[in-house]
Amino acid sequence: MSKKIITVDDAATMRKMVAFTLKGAGHEVFEAGDGVEALTVLRQRPVDLVLTDVNMPNMDGLELTRQLRALPAFARTPIILLTTESDPAKKMLGRAAGATGWIVKPFSQEQLLAIVAKVLPA
Amino acid sequence: MAINETLQQELVKDLLLESHEGLDRFDRELLALEQGQTGPDSMNNIFRVIHTLKGTAGCLGLGHIEHTAHVGEDLLSLLRDGKLHSTPEMITTLLALSDALRGMLRTLEATGTDGTSDHSALLAKLVQLQVAPAIAAAPAPVEKPVFGLFDDDEPVVAVLAVAPEVAGAVVMTAPASVQASSDAPTPTTLHAAPPVSASASVEVAGKSSVADNAIRVDISQLDKVMNLVGELVLARNQIVANTTQFDQAALMTAAQRLNIITTELQESVMKTRMQPIGNVWGKFPRIVRDVSHELNKKVRLVMAGQTTELDRTIIEAIKDPLTHIVRNSIDHGIESPAKRLSVGKAEEGLLSLRAYHEGGQVNIEIMDDGGGINLDRVKAKAVAQHLITAEQSARLTEREALNLIFLPGLSTADKITNVSGRGVGMDVVKTNIEKIGGSIDLQSQPGQGTTLKIKIPLTLAIIPALIVTSGGDRYAIPQVSLLELVRLEGTQARKGIEQLYGAAVYRLRGHLLPLAYLNQQFKVKAGVPKNAAQAMDDVINIIVLQADGRPFGLVVDEINDTEEIVVKPLGKQLKGISSFAGATIMGDGRVALILDVVGLAQHANVVTETRDRPVIDTKARAQSDADQRQTLLLFSVGKDRRMAIPLALAARLEEFPVSRVERTGATEVVQYRGQILPLIRVADHVAGRVTPDEPSDILQVVVYAEQGRSYGLVVSQINDIVNESVTIKRASASQGILGSAVVQDRVTDLLDVPGLVRAAEAHASLAA
Amino acid sequence: MSTNNQFCTFYVDGLFFGVDVLRVQEVIRFQEMTRVPLASPVVSGLINLRGQIVTAIDLRRRLVLTERPADQLPMNVVVRTDDGAVSLLVDDIGDVLEVDESTYERPPETLTGAARQIVRGVYKLKDRLLLIIDTDQTVDLHEKTSAGLTKVA
Repeated sequence: MSKKIITVDDAATMRKMVAFTLKGAGHEVFEAGDGVEALTVLRQRPVDLVLTDVNMPNMDGLELTRQLRALPAFARTPIILLTTESDPAKKMLGRAAGATGWIVKPFSQEQLLAIVAKVLPA
Repeated sequence: MAINETLQQELVKDLLLESHEGLDRFDRELLALEQGQTGPDSMNNIFRVIHTLKGTAGCLGLGHIEHTAHVGEDLLSLLRDGKLHSTPEMITTLLALSDALRGMLRTLEATGTDGTSDHSALLAKLVQLQVAPAIAAAPAPVEKPVFGLFDDDEPVVAVLAVAPEVAGAVVMTAPASVQASSDAPTPTTLHAAPPVSASASVEVAGKSSVADNAIRVDISQLDKVMNLVGELVLARNQIVANTTQFDQAALMTAAQRLNIITTELQESVMKTRMQPIGNVWGKFPRIVRDVSHELNKKVRLVMAGQTTELDRTIIEAIKDPLTHIVRNSIDHGIESPAKRLSVGKAEEGLLSLRAYHEGGQVNIEIMDDGGGINLDRVKAKAVAQHLITAEQSARLTEREALNLIFLPGLSTADKITNVSGRGVGMDVVKTNIEKIGGSIDLQSQPGQGTTLKIKIPLTLAIIPALIVTSGGDRYAIPQVSLLELVRLEGTQARKGIEQLYGAAVYRLRGHLLPLAYLNQQFKVKAGVPKNAAQAMDDVINIIVLQADGRPFGLVVDEINDTEEIVVKPLGKQLKGISSFAGATIMGDGRVALILDVVGLAQHANVVTETRDRPVIDTKARAQSDADQRQTLLLFSVGKDRRMAIPLALAARLEEFPVSRVERTGATEVVQYRGQILPLIRVADHVAGRVTPDEPSDILQVVVYAEQGRSYGLVVSQINDIVNESVTIKRASASQGILGSAVVQDRVTDLLDVPGLVRAAEAHASLAA
Repeated sequence: MSTNNQFCTFYVDGLFFGVDVLRVQEVIRFQEMTRVPLASPVVSGLINLRGQIVTAIDLRRRLVLTERPADQLPMNVVVRTDDGAVSLLVDDIGDVLEVDESTYERPPETLTGAARQIVRGVYKLKDRLLLIIDTDQTVDLHEKTSAGLTKVA
């Protein structure tokens, strides 16, 4: 079933790739360039899944996660962090912020679809 | 990877654009960091560029870039976390990293792969710099999961409490299955050092890259263009509808509307092409750092007006000249720290760049507080390189001497440094700037510094132009080079044009204006005059143009109108013709060629190479003593006497072969325009010693008319025509001489022409 | 060598020529031209093709054939090149032909001069010869010298 997913990343290439992969799987995808932009979009338009980069200008992925969790509409929405850092301390910060899961860049399309499928049962 | 090829290509293009911008930012921030100008986010911004590049490259299967970025990222993360402090060596290495990554991106653009260039030394250096005491370089884990959910992890008691609800909300069913499939590419570690032998990276120089060809346009700007296009369609529909019905009032309204919309649309589209000059300047901190390090100089770069906008074609055109000037300023301008201290200046030199709009043009000033230009050295170099003669050099004004640095081939660098003095000189800079309708002005104070001022038009795409007709064809002449229009009628037309050594000239307010006939230059027939009154001899249209700072007149059949024209490029089959700058489409749909005024002037030989003529800056002269100026004809008599007469006294300048000279009594004469012209050899009739020069087959004659009679003054050589204020230094009662004055830095005798004529006649009658 | 066997054909001074159909942007009737002084005589002028300025090259002159009679208006075969569109002026337009690869032959050694550079090969059709011209060579007006160097024509 088609889900609404937002991809938040300051790298347009990354967003495009994520969007392409997810659209290919039949999802509806929104894009945002940083945490602030994502919050603005999401306040008006709830989604089923948030995929966010961690290190971004203006507002990073961790802060975005924290702020989203403070909104009732996003209390239960899965949030996946896209990170190049697989070091456990960083992961714990993500967990503490309220993220649901993580995926390490670079990842394949299959891997991305796998984690999406995992948090978004059809 | 399952991404299809088209998408991969598109993503690579995005990556190129994004990464070039990122790396430029990376350089800038690093340099700011080195200068101690850091904001709270600086280090993170620097880190993020490499971090993002690594991530994106990895996803696109660009292992080489990914690996290189990864090694850099390790060092940067230590810096970001405060575990290391930056050193100049580190900055240099990190700048080398951005260069290496740029190289790979260029290879990627040219070949579609990120290549196998060898950067092992750089990578080793990046690793070596990571000597953080606390944490050893993170050991690469043998196998790491690629993704996971926090629920799958070992519970971490302390953190679990933070978001129990959230963690509990995601009910996971298959924890084990999603662990990284073992065939997933393990990041970075698989890419062992490439074989050193295959190190040559493919770099396509000269080809413009994606980053250079793409521009970012504000969405609101595009929306505006879109709206205007909508309006335009509406207006067209109205005109089409009303043309069939021929409702004149409605047509008028529609035409007005169309006019307004088109103008606005034109402006809007032009705006989308505007870019801040900072896009070019962004690279300068890096260049300044590299060049000053190389030369062991200390330079502080100050920039103002980065947001000043210019059309991107102009930005492209000034990029290289500006870079050259900046390099030059550091190399030739700013002194070594020791030298600066010894003359009481701050150890650190100042290089400032300033851009601002002024009257439809953009001014760019490049100023340094260095040693200034040593005029004696410039002159000596110019003489040594045979660009000017020692004689010319002696009488150059300060300003003229300064302008020598724009002569082709002149390099003042005593030693050829790596930085400048390698052939590409200021002449190229000047040519490039003039090519886009700009001008360059140089000021220098010995010991104080040098300022270069560049004026350039805002845009090249749409320019005001004068439309003319010659040989039945229309041509557009860019208005920037237009000085004035002169129309000669009747007698004026028949007699106004004179021949000076075979070249047509026109006297424009006392100055001889060299003329070029467009139809002759283009080897096309002159147009058929429209009616008898316009017969060729009766009307002559002269367009006074400026090329290379010198005026010349272009004679055309007809002057039509001024129009805003859209400049379009010519195909490569026509690129070699320097007389054309492009083409445009006229209102009737036909194509008209746009003249390249400088190219045309060179083609017509109306502006000779700078080196062949003394450098005259008419503007500079005009500012001084405008009221007392006099236009003088300068000539020499014998080998070394320089003389002058007011130009107004010279009716014509002629050349006669010696064989045409006849004698009547003691007087030499020639037949001239159906009359007998007595010749007066100036050397024979003036007081003072004249060293005779080599006899010549051709006599140079200044024709002088007095009370209906003409005389030919025979001189050795015509030198120049100048417009100067003249103060007679030495009043003299000598025969034929009014006195002497300093003209062009040389002592020049002012000839008493009537006195000379009387003396010659007295001499002739005595002899007879 | 392109594997495409479809050619847009035309006549120039009685000869039958073809260019790769994929390189042809459009064929249009005679257009008013603006002559370009000082240009190579091969360049007939500039035409306005929907706002784009296109150089027109006279194939008769390019191939060193006889001049086109003054009363005969040429047609434009507009071809795509790396440098934008260029128009080739021809006498008349033929059909788009699909030819049999087995009838192909390299140009005969006796072909010399400009034609040698431009004519890529010959198809021996039943009733006539179809000369295939290389568009890149045709629009490149730099003369190739025997040493392989180029100089401006």
